[in-house]
Amino acid sequence: MATLTYLEAISDGLREMLRDDERVFVMGEDVGAFGGAFKVTAGMVEEFGPERVRDTPIAESGIVGTAVGAAVAGLRPVCEMQFADFVACGFDQIVNVAGKMHYRLGLAVPIVVRLPSGGGFGGGPFHSQNPESWFMQAPGLKVVAPATPEDAKGALIAAIQDPNPVIYLEHKNLYRRIKGEVPEGIYETPWKARVAREGSDLTVVAYGQMVHTALAAAEQIDASIEVVDLRSLVPLDEEAILASVAKTSKALVLDEANQTCAAGAQVAALIADRGFEDLDGPVRRLATPDVPIPFSPPLEAAVLPGVEQVKEACLELLDY
Amino acid sequence: MSSSTTETGSVDVLMPQMGTSVFEGTVVAWLKQVGDEISAEETICEVSTDKIDTECPSPAAGTLVEIFVNEGETVEVGTVMARIASGDAAAEPPAVAAPGEQAAAAPAPATAAPASAPSTGTTPNGDGRRYSPLVKRIAAEHGIDLSGLDGSGRGGRVTKKDVLAAVENGPPKQPLLHSDSPYRPDPPAAQPAPSQAPGRASLGESLGGVAEPLTRIRQSIGGAMLDSQRTAATCHTIVECDMSRVEARRRELGLTALPLVARATIETLREFPQLNATLDGTTITRFERVHLGIAVSLGEEGLMVPVIHDAHELSAEGLGARIKELAKRARAKELGADDVRGASFTITNPGQFGALLATPVINQPQVGILDLEAVVKRPVVLSGPDGEDLIAIRPMVNLILGWDHRAMDGVYAASFLSALRAKLEAL
Repeated sequence: MATLTYLEAISDGLREMLRDDERVFVMGEDVGAFGGAFKVTAGMVEEFGPERVRDTPIAESGIVGTAVGAAVAGLRPVCEMQFADFVACGFDQIVNVAGKMHYRLGLAVPIVVRLPSGGGFGGGPFHSQNPESWFMQAPGLKVVAPATPEDAKGALIAAIQDPNPVIYLEHKNLYRRIKGEVPEGIYETPWKARVAREGSDLTVVAYGQMVHTALAAAEQIDASIEVVDLRSLVPLDEEAILASVAKTSKALVLDEANQTCAAGAQVAALIADRGFEDLDGPVRRLATPDVPIPFSPPLEAAVLPGVEQVKEACLELLDY
Repeated sequence: MSSSTTETGSVDVLMPQMGTSVFEGTVVAWLKQVGDEISAEETICEVSTDKIDTECPSPAAGTLVEIFVNEGETVEVGTVMARIASGDAAAEPPAVAAPGEQAAAAPAPATAAPASAPSTGTTPNGDGRRYSPLVKRIAAEHGIDLSGLDGSGRGGRVTKKDVLAAVENGPPKQPLLHSDSPYRPDPPAAQPAPSQAPGRASLGESLGGVAEPLTRIRQSIGGAMLDSQRTAATCHTIVECDMSRVEARRRELGLTALPLVARATIETLREFPQLNATLDGTTITRFERVHLGIAVSLGEEGLMVPVIHDAHELSAEGLGARIKELAKRARAKELGADDVRGASFTITNPGQFGALLATPVINQPQVGILDLEAVVKRPVVLSGPDGEDLIAIRPMVNLILGWDHRAMDGVYAASFLSALRAKLEAL
């Protein structure tokens, strides 16, 4: 097993699928000769040619719309949004065209839209967002957000092989920071949550970068903290969440997204609804306040949930 | 409902119907006096029937304006016991309800208490504390009284860990199923006046004793026990039983031994119908169905014998669940009159307390009671494959049958016990 960065694992998964299935192709802004803004597709145009690694105009609606047509015609497009923030321009094609195609016409739309998301590096309001919940509310889409290199590769492969449109969130701040062992060849990560750390006193539910924040906080707390990595937001692994809460009786739900109607809000509602009798404390949420992400690093650090805030929230809940 | 609204904005408190066979009840104590504010569902008085004691909730919020039935008085179901001026009526000026003559008497309390403000201080938990859903659930499942626990959470909150610790250390607080003599919930025999003998009184004083009346439940149990001893020709027969199979089976099923023994007893009773019977004077009635009484200790307070009706239709698991549920309700004082009525045979199970032998008193008008005592490992002599004698260590128990010699003879009782033992040893 090779040790890869999160970014290398995504590239690896993409390359495996391009090699394995000739229906798979990549499209996006500067994904070809330039290798992508973050170099996820570096070297791919050389190996697979410009037909399968296609540079596009700066037009997200066109990218997704083209992908939907190609998917209906039998191909397996993987679209790259240069930054997740830009997906707003392709929103209509995703939620109204791709998401509803099967419901309206019975046609499968096996596209993957890769969204390099998240903040923590001074990217500012147009390059730091976590727009997953925009898509969680649109029927017909799957929304996944891996946290580890192994899952990043496996989830991308599973997304490409899934017959539904899949919004694939890859956290930019994990790209080169997080390394891990990644199996070789093709494997699929299931749309199920994973217990990233076992514990008995408190459950922290997180996904993406926040899994690592939670794990770092848990290390520093003198209590048995369980960290549940959701991996998939739609479908949401409700049973895994409830099982963990049944064990620990306390839950902190962590989001890097703006707090209102975020993925964590859905998780908190689920626990309050179906886990009520297992609770020994309030369901607590920690998320980014409803403000744009600031450029200024100190201000950005102040709005994004960090290890200290997570620790504080955990300690308060443990003490309850 | 035990209330009816009258034209003047007041609500009558009626003697409640507490089970199909109950026609009258006795007011044991009024917890509210005339003039007291009361909120809806708050306990207004304690009522006793020949079967059960219960608390009577107020049908409405308001002011208690009149009491018609004195403590100790017995009245028919549906009788008006008291009257409450409901919230609106109580707030009205007294002149409206009683112009002139009575203005000084009855309405005074109503005007003294403005708009039910004092009663808002009561909380649903009674002890003024709030509990998480989980803590309440665990407490309910294990019959734990939360008000008695110290909380280690913020502001003294009782946490999951606190209540789990109480479950761990539970046994002293959790009375076990037990009786040495089952409670027959009949009206107490007329009580002799408390002895005024000077010798006794002075002895009590010199030892620091305090004379106090027996509780109602003790009086009831006492009356029933004396009645049984006066009525029945009680005899006892004992067999020893090897419980190896029962112990193995109960571990398999996650049950106590009691439901397994109960199941086997029911089967045996169907073969020995003279024991599944009631005897009234010269009339014996043998039953096909088995209504099984299970003695439940309420600790120092006394004991009750809730009844599993049609117990023959239940598996051991079903009996286990019913016994648990009835015991829980008995301790929570939630048994209805029908829950303690109509047993055809009784089992008592004080084994947990370590006694080896007892002589149980028959629950009249039944003719038999089975007493399951402590299971103790003992060396026993067995026959080996070639008929040789072997000594083995086996969990043994004494099965004691209290039976009424008026209804049967010793051979019948012994045959019953032997049949029961055979079933238990072959389980």
